[in-house]
Amino acid sequence: MKQLNEVIKEVAAQSLSRGEVDLVIGWKKGDLWWQSYPAFVEGDEGVADLIWDPFCVPNLSRYLLEELDDKSKVAIFVKGCDALGFNQLLQDKRVEREKVYLYGIPCDGLVDPRKLEAAGHKWLSEVRRDGDELVLVSKEGEQRVKARDFMYDKCLTCRYPNPVTYDQMLGEAVEAQPQERFAGVEELEKISDDERFEYWARQFSRCIRCFACRNVCPACSCRECIFDIPEPRWLGKAKELSEDQFYHIIRAYHVAGRCVDCGECTRVCPVDLPLQELNRKFIKDINELYGEYDAGVDPETEAPLVTYNTNDPAAFTES
Amino acid sequence: MKKINKEKLPALWERLADEAALYLPVEEDGVVNFAPWKEGAAVNLDVINTMVPPKHLVFPQSENYLRFHVEGSKLEIEPLDVDGPYVVFGARPCDVAGIAIIDKLFLDEPCDTLYKERRDNGTIISLGCNEPEETCFCTSFDLEPGFSPDADISTWDLGEYLLWEPRNEKGQALTAKLDDLLEAADSGAAQAVEKLRQDAASREAAVVREHGWEVQGVKEALEDKFDSEIWDEIYRRCLGCGVCTYLCPTCHCFDVQDYSKGQEGLRFRCWDSCMFGDFTLMAHGENPRPTQKERVRQRFMHKLLYYPSNFEVYACVGCGRCVRKCPVSIDITQVIKAAGGVE
Amino acid sequence: MSVSAEEQAFEPLIIVFGCNWCSYAGGDLAGTSRMSYPPNVRVIRVPCSSRVSPNFVLRAFQRGADGVLVAGCHPGDCHYVTGNYYARRRLSALRRFLEFIGIEPERFEVHWISGSEGAKFAKVMGEVTEKIRALGPNRKMRDVR
Repeated sequence: MKQLNEVIKEVAAQSLSRGEVDLVIGWKKGDLWWQSYPAFVEGDEGVADLIWDPFCVPNLSRYLLEELDDKSKVAIFVKGCDALGFNQLLQDKRVEREKVYLYGIPCDGLVDPRKLEAAGHKWLSEVRRDGDELVLVSKEGEQRVKARDFMYDKCLTCRYPNPVTYDQMLGEAVEAQPQERFAGVEELEKISDDERFEYWARQFSRCIRCFACRNVCPACSCRECIFDIPEPRWLGKAKELSEDQFYHIIRAYHVAGRCVDCGECTRVCPVDLPLQELNRKFIKDINELYGEYDAGVDPETEAPLVTYNTNDPAAFTES
Repeated sequence: MKKINKEKLPALWERLADEAALYLPVEEDGVVNFAPWKEGAAVNLDVINTMVPPKHLVFPQSENYLRFHVEGSKLEIEPLDVDGPYVVFGARPCDVAGIAIIDKLFLDEPCDTLYKERRDNGTIISLGCNEPEETCFCTSFDLEPGFSPDADISTWDLGEYLLWEPRNEKGQALTAKLDDLLEAADSGAAQAVEKLRQDAASREAAVVREHGWEVQGVKEALEDKFDSEIWDEIYRRCLGCGVCTYLCPTCHCFDVQDYSKGQEGLRFRCWDSCMFGDFTLMAHGENPRPTQKERVRQRFMHKLLYYPSNFEVYACVGCGRCVRKCPVSIDITQVIKAAGGVE
Repeated sequence: MSVSAEEQAFEPLIIVFGCNWCSYAGGDLAGTSRMSYPPNVRVIRVPCSSRVSPNFVLRAFQRGADGVLVAGCHPGDCHYVTGNYYARRRLSALRRFLEFIGIEPERFEVHWISGSEGAKFAKVMGEVTEKIRALGPNRKMRDVR
């Protein structure tokens, strides 16, 4: 079987040359070994730059919000988590399905460069996936390490490595090996209110209010965000803990029931806030109270917080 | 030149903290940032790039400067005091250079008195770098990883000892108060520093050379690039977040806002980012930078063309934080290459 | 147990978001029936319990509330038929989440109080006030400026 890295170039070239799509969004390689970033290919010339490697982490479906405006059809590559995000945009009626062609990529987990660096694997020139191993290439030569030791935490808990929606699947399905995803939430639930408050206050106080967590999120697709509206200014611009708390509580609440648990918020946070734990607290509680629900799996099922049952339980005492 | 045995550093910090508020790189929850020193703090002098640069110590993310009070038709305004003296210990040369770059704007006429007062209250003790990080390219902007000309006191890590050299009156005044903790350095100290500086510079220069990051004439190259198609490619993946600007040791844009509590309130200034859509949004609804393309162009043009045109210095110190942290790998070194500003 | 002067003097501030059709009317009934409830309670009238955005709740805590209460029609009795069913889910999720952030769950309560339940309105306000009084002043999320 051909390498995925080659297949993506072929399919992109094909759909562009046949005029089936106006634009292909994929990933290309930067100058540094861990840089794999979104690339926009409209003609033959960019096709050769498209790549698939263990660092193709950015979700491409968010770009559809802008790119679909003036195009009749756009093709994107979606990993498992990306497909969930795409479905969420679909459910939120922010993209039109028929204007998008989805190439599905079964994903066996992506590599967190910071985990490699923390283990002393620096100054690399290339990192390749080979089965369960990573091949680390540097001037000193090649070294093999266990891939799972260096994957993003979010990939270790991934339950949907294979895209749940696609027009064409590239490659063989992979097996999900998810670790328990609520372990972090449960740890925090065990400690006292005051300790938890202290923990989150410490985290939030690090926030620099860059909004990367919002801007990367496939569930944050409002045309106008409450945090940007000048009047009423719900979120003040001062660096005050109270404002930080407001921001993070409301951000998480706004994606509650719609968060696909892709973990991009945590990945992009420049100051390492464990934001995915906030989203997962909502997911866990909603599952417990209103039944299991996985956002992004089926865009036709109503999200749990925009529907109800007359006999719903409550998290407060009803009398 | 003086020196201090590293074992004595906690005593030094305790003393410095007695003199003034002391900020230094502290590790908490696995993150190293400049934070106030307190007994038992996990000081980490090994990390090159703190997660956030120490810029916020001279230019806080937000600072209140007026309190206002309305009573009937009477408006009372009370200016607020700027925080007192402080010491920044362990700032890396690139981060100190970032502060020196911001100085040019705020201390130039008309002088920003709020900034000046805070700046004057601070004493900056730099720590030279021995080794570069993978994303270091300060030498591209003619900075020296091993030495900070703009610090009040320079220090160098020589293993067992930290060498210590005051660079100006402010530095000398503080050094004089630490006489019992600092010892005279050996005769070979100057030579050791010279070697450290050369080694650090040449190690980094090798990395810079390998990546093709040797900036040369990017200012001139950008002069006719306002309408260039290079921006079409660069901006398209931008998410419009503020990671690059807020982690940048030289970015200094701010907004002025009020916090109101009914009849009274505070006026403050706070960081703002040219990456945000509302940064240039006018009151009448018009936005002169309507898309992310204009915003991304502005960021790089400001750093690499406008700022050097105004102040004869690039507004980039090559610390590499934006390169490392941009969620979609928008990389200033690639922009410089695309503009044709490399050797 | 010794009680500090501050705690002794502590009068909790409780913000109640009351639904126009049931709970606010319940409050009115409590008043016209001359039933007393603690003056610590400040009622803000909203069209429906489902109108209460988490922004309101957080803003109340930011600006000094020691406790926040949402009061709406009993499930099945919503003036808009389904509003409080949505509110039940959303406010349940919010309540658990605030606890996760470290805010004591007692500080954010939801009660169903109909327009005919003047006595219940007065009783709930009394109970909530005493519970918050026992908890002491809330400093979490408070904007200290």
